[in-house]
Amino acid sequence: MSVSAPVRLSIAPARAGKTSTGFTHTLRFRLMLSVALVHVVLMGIFVADAVREQSDRIQAELYSRGRSLVALTAVASTNALLTEDLGALAEIIQRVKNQPDVVYCEITDSRGRILGTTHPERLGKSLPLLAAKPEQFPLAAGDHILDLQERIRIAGQTVGTVTLGLSTVRMDSALAKTWREGLFFILAALMVGSAAAWALSLLTTRGLHNMMEAARKISRGDLDVQVPANSRDEVGMLAIAFNNMVASLKRASEDAAQEHERRTQAERLACVGEMSATIAHEIRNPLSAIINSVNLLGGDALNREDRIQVISILNNESRRLNRILGDFLEFAKIRESEPICADLKELIEEIANMLYQDHRTGKRLSLTINCAPDAQTAVFDRDQMRQVLWNLMLNALQSMPEGGELSVLTRRDGEKIMVSIADTGCGIAPEFLEKVTKPFVTSRNGGTGLGLAIVQRILVQHGTQLGIISHPGVGTEVSFQLNGVN
Amino acid sequence: MLAGAALPFSSVAHAQPSDLPPYRFGVLPLQSPNKLASMFLPLAKVLEQRLHRPVQFVTAPSFSVFMQRVAQREYDIVYLNPMLCAEAQKSGYHAVVKIAGEPFTGILVVRRDSNITELAAHRLPPGLRLGFPDPGAFAATVMTRRYLETLGIPVDKDFKVKYFGSQDSVLMALYSGLVDIAGTWKPSLRSMPKDVQQALRIVAETPPQPQMPIAVRGDMPAGDAKTVAEVLVDLIGTPDGRRILRGMELPQGFVLADDSEYAKVGK
Repeated sequence: MSVSAPVRLSIAPARAGKTSTGFTHTLRFRLMLSVALVHVVLMGIFVADAVREQSDRIQAELYSRGRSLVALTAVASTNALLTEDLGALAEIIQRVKNQPDVVYCEITDSRGRILGTTHPERLGKSLPLLAAKPEQFPLAAGDHILDLQERIRIAGQTVGTVTLGLSTVRMDSALAKTWREGLFFILAALMVGSAAAWALSLLTTRGLHNMMEAARKISRGDLDVQVPANSRDEVGMLAIAFNNMVASLKRASEDAAQEHERRTQAERLACVGEMSATIAHEIRNPLSAIINSVNLLGGDALNREDRIQVISILNNESRRLNRILGDFLEFAKIRESEPICADLKELIEEIANMLYQDHRTGKRLSLTINCAPDAQTAVFDRDQMRQVLWNLMLNALQSMPEGGELSVLTRRDGEKIMVSIADTGCGIAPEFLEKVTKPFVTSRNGGTGLGLAIVQRILVQHGTQLGIISHPGVGTEVSFQLNGVN
Repeated sequence: MLAGAALPFSSVAHAQPSDLPPYRFGVLPLQSPNKLASMFLPLAKVLEQRLHRPVQFVTAPSFSVFMQRVAQREYDIVYLNPMLCAEAQKSGYHAVVKIAGEPFTGILVVRRDSNITELAAHRLPPGLRLGFPDPGAFAATVMTRRYLETLGIPVDKDFKVKYFGSQDSVLMALYSGLVDIAGTWKPSLRSMPKDVQQALRIVAETPPQPQMPIAVRGDMPAGDAKTVAEVLVDLIGTPDGRRILRGMELPQGFVLADDSEYAKVGK
């Protein structure tokens, strides 16, 4: 038997925790990243090329200026060098030194004697040249002076040498500034590109976001949702298809609900029929016995001893009939559960001790109750749980007519409290195990087959169900979960 | 940037015949330093090869500076005029050779289109502009001035005298009209461009004096002094030597000189 209730098609999210992805996983972010990367790469290439070109130009300009200056210095100083006119050479040196970027300048005669220099301490001495050889760009790492030389030649003979050093600091600063500006442009391109990509992604994914929100509503059961389909692009087409899909889903859901209602109604009728038949069957046997007993008592063929026996049968069958009706009533009138936070351990001990006292007489029966410290309270309907525990423990005790061990334990499993009741009784036959919780199924003489059905129905109302592990001749363990209390 | 201290400075100079200190060959600044260098550097190179010792050509900004350096014995070999040679002798220099053939005279030059045809006191207009290279230039200045005075022409009294530093400068000044008469000597006139030479005309020539000598400092080893003299005298005997002499505007070459004949010059 199943409980019929109005059913609506509900699409449960596959993984509720993953429905909202991180920003970095969104299509919007990827679009932005792509556009920004394209901007950065293109601007980087452009800037690098521009800076390299400017660097070459600045270096060529400095080198050309240096060459011109050293050549002019050589020309200007030739006469003064030949005449060893130190005053004139000093004047030339001073003028050269006043030129931008000049670090040093030196004029030596054919024998290496320094006749003019920006370093007065070297004047008149024969010292190594300030530069071993003339340089060209690129300079060595850490070298910030471009060394240039110009030999003063007359009639094919070298009569002197001009050595000139130009500082590249100003050039390096200009290049560094160019690089900074280039980086600024890259950054600006990145920002502008990102903003443009953001706007583009908003336009592109707005429709998708609408559909995502609609999908969330659908997953919550709202099938009346529609998404705007204003654009004529792919997203607009997708929105139209989405709306069509939702409409189709809604029709299917309504059809399913109607079908479910029909089936539920049919099941209900079948159940009523089954119950009626079962009730008729269960009542007819004791009722027949009662009728026969009454007929026998109405005659005079019974002796005293038989009469007493017939009266006993009459009483037994009347009580049986009463119990059957009581169970029926109890099964039929199970109310909705009203779970509260309650002491599970106390309830278990109360019921277990009561049943243990009733059944231990003449048996070797042991009772073990083990409630873990973090599994002593739970959320349940106290009266209904009393009946669940009573039925399960009673079944366990009834399966051990010669005695045995009854164990009741609770433990915490995450948010849940696991309740387990185990016995060392006769066990349940495997072919009987699957239907043992169905109504009117019992393996015990005199049983109505409603005890475990009542248990199962109450547990379902608590959001759980009964689990049974049984080995014939060894014992049975039944278990269920309850919501725990943090 | 900086060369290593061990790097020899000679790496930028031309090949060294030896590690000995160079002989400094001082040339009187008769002409522009560039021109003098072009003229005397080939000679310096030949001397270098024969002496097995570097010979460095040098000159000076002016006659006076040149003579100061001579007085301070800064040069090992000097090429100068006869009068300055007499001064140099006092500083310990000895003439070893002198220019051969051509007599050593000063000349007075005018532009070819000038009205001046002869030098006579009464024929020269007052205010005439006279140009000389340097007050110490023997042939061009000293000898020509003396010559003018012997003609009764008071140079400093009646004319405007201007010095231009070198033979080339005074000739170019004449050519460009800055002066009317220029004192110089023949080798300088011959060294001028043809156009300039053709635009000028010699108007007078002084009586001869001992030719321009080349002297060596007294402490030069006798062998080297002899080699210097031999090299200079032998130049005329080889094609390369004659080429060098032509470059120096002295195609007649050199002959050995008597040092004593210069002692009388200027007295």
